[in-house]
Amino acid sequence: MNGRERFFAHLRGEAVDHLPCLPITMQFAADLIGVPYKEYATDYRALVRGQIAVAETFGLDYVNTMSDPACEAADCGAKITFHPDQPPAVNESESLLMDKETLVHLKQPDPSSTERMSNRLKALSFYKEQVGGQLMIEGWIEGPLAEAADLRGINRVMLDFLDDPSFVRDLFEFVLEMELRFAKAQVDSGAEQIGIGDAAASLVGPKIYKEFVWPYQKRMVDALHEMGVSVRLHICGNTSKILEGMGKLGCDIVELDSLVSMADARETMGAEQILLGNIDPVRVVRNTNPDTVREALEESHREAGHRYMVGAGCEVPRDTPKENMQAIVDYARQHSPDRWEESR
Amino acid sequence: MDLQPLYDSVLIGDAKTTRSIVEQALAEGVGPQQLLDDYMIPAMDEVGRRFEANEYFVPELLISARAMKGALEILRPLLADSGSQTIGRVIVGTVRGDLHDIGKNLVAAMLEGGGFEVVDLGVDVPPEKFIESIGETNADIIAMSALLTTTMPGMKTTIEALESAGIRNNVKVIIGGAPVTQRYADEIGADGFSDNASAAVRLCRDLVNA
Repeated sequence: MNGRERFFAHLRGEAVDHLPCLPITMQFAADLIGVPYKEYATDYRALVRGQIAVAETFGLDYVNTMSDPACEAADCGAKITFHPDQPPAVNESESLLMDKETLVHLKQPDPSSTERMSNRLKALSFYKEQVGGQLMIEGWIEGPLAEAADLRGINRVMLDFLDDPSFVRDLFEFVLEMELRFAKAQVDSGAEQIGIGDAAASLVGPKIYKEFVWPYQKRMVDALHEMGVSVRLHICGNTSKILEGMGKLGCDIVELDSLVSMADARETMGAEQILLGNIDPVRVVRNTNPDTVREALEESHREAGHRYMVGAGCEVPRDTPKENMQAIVDYARQHSPDRWEESR
Repeated sequence: MDLQPLYDSVLIGDAKTTRSIVEQALAEGVGPQQLLDDYMIPAMDEVGRRFEANEYFVPELLISARAMKGALEILRPLLADSGSQTIGRVIVGTVRGDLHDIGKNLVAAMLEGGGFEVVDLGVDVPPEKFIESIGETNADIIAMSALLTTTMPGMKTTIEALESAGIRNNVKVIIGGAPVTQRYADEIGADGFSDNASAAVRLCRDLVNA
């Protein structure tokens, strides 16, 4: 069974040789192949090389295109700071939509021709050539609130919910259309699954989540399913109070951060939802040792039950010891979905 | 006059009502210190309590902080004229190389709401800027934020720079941010660590009272 077969078989609820393994790596991947992060984020050849190197060195079941949250915003014309060896970042003091009126005139970027989105599309075509049929190829888009925050400024959009709800909805409509166009282009280029990153959603409470964010996430997930791909939802941070809504989106995989109880998520989302995670990326993955990583994963797995995939709560940080990364993969290799008891 | 609505308007983040009650109360002769100590700071303490209890989230906290800030703009000059002192002055900033600011902003807002005077240096703040600011403001506390494991060492560098400048004993240093732990605070010789904005206010109160 190769990684791609394993992943999709488990997704469908069929028998697998062991648990699928899908930790997120970005800076870790760039460091592994020794390229500065700016190059990893802006040149698809470096990204693909880094992802394949991580997958092959450690034994992951997938590759993806994620590098930083500023990709779509950059192509809308937002001012982005490109650090030499850190993720590109949106400069909030000069947000594109500092003035709300700007939204009315903002044009939808064309993913096939704009710089950063087209770079991601090239990565997907390259993956298809290099590892198609062997590893699951995952594309990535920003969720409604994450992207709204990138365009408007996160501090501003948090107040907009209360000051100007209709602006927030207009902004979310723009974002939804942009992200779905981007997703469609990614699917056409070879993405077999789309991940949605909506970290900012963990900053709002259940009321705002339900009223504003959830309806747009739901439309996003439904549209992705219509494109024929599976969906991973990634909301890092403490999502304890919005788990119920997250579980009702119909995502194939819900990835959870370490601040959330896996047991609560299982109880809230029902027995069939695939859960992924959720060990502490810094305090466990980066700062401890293989034994502790294994124990932490065992706990996540036990609480999640058999509908589970292996990963950290968020990105595996730069400077994570290689043996800890290997311990994540080894846990997956040594455990079948329904066996979280000691099986070494 | 009944000032309970002042407490309520800060708590729900109604900036306009907060300002107008403050103006009316001042016109009727209520002292600025009383408005602050008896209504506004207690309201922000309640905001902090609700935030810690997962009843308030980032939007609610920011909107209450904005109401507080608007009223403080009216009260500050009056408080200064009357010679009253803030309970302490805190320099806040995200360390060099790090552009994340929402956590730092929450801490700044809660500190201001808690009666502290806040000097916000923004993001990507190098050690020398923290040091310069101490000279200018005579602050009691430096509060540093970092959201990345790669920028976190900037906290250590800043503490070392304070030592080299011979002013480490003049200020307390507290740190916070997603990858930061109490253990790291101990390792680099910080005076305190907090993993949330509300607890950071308690920490600063303890440090200035110590």
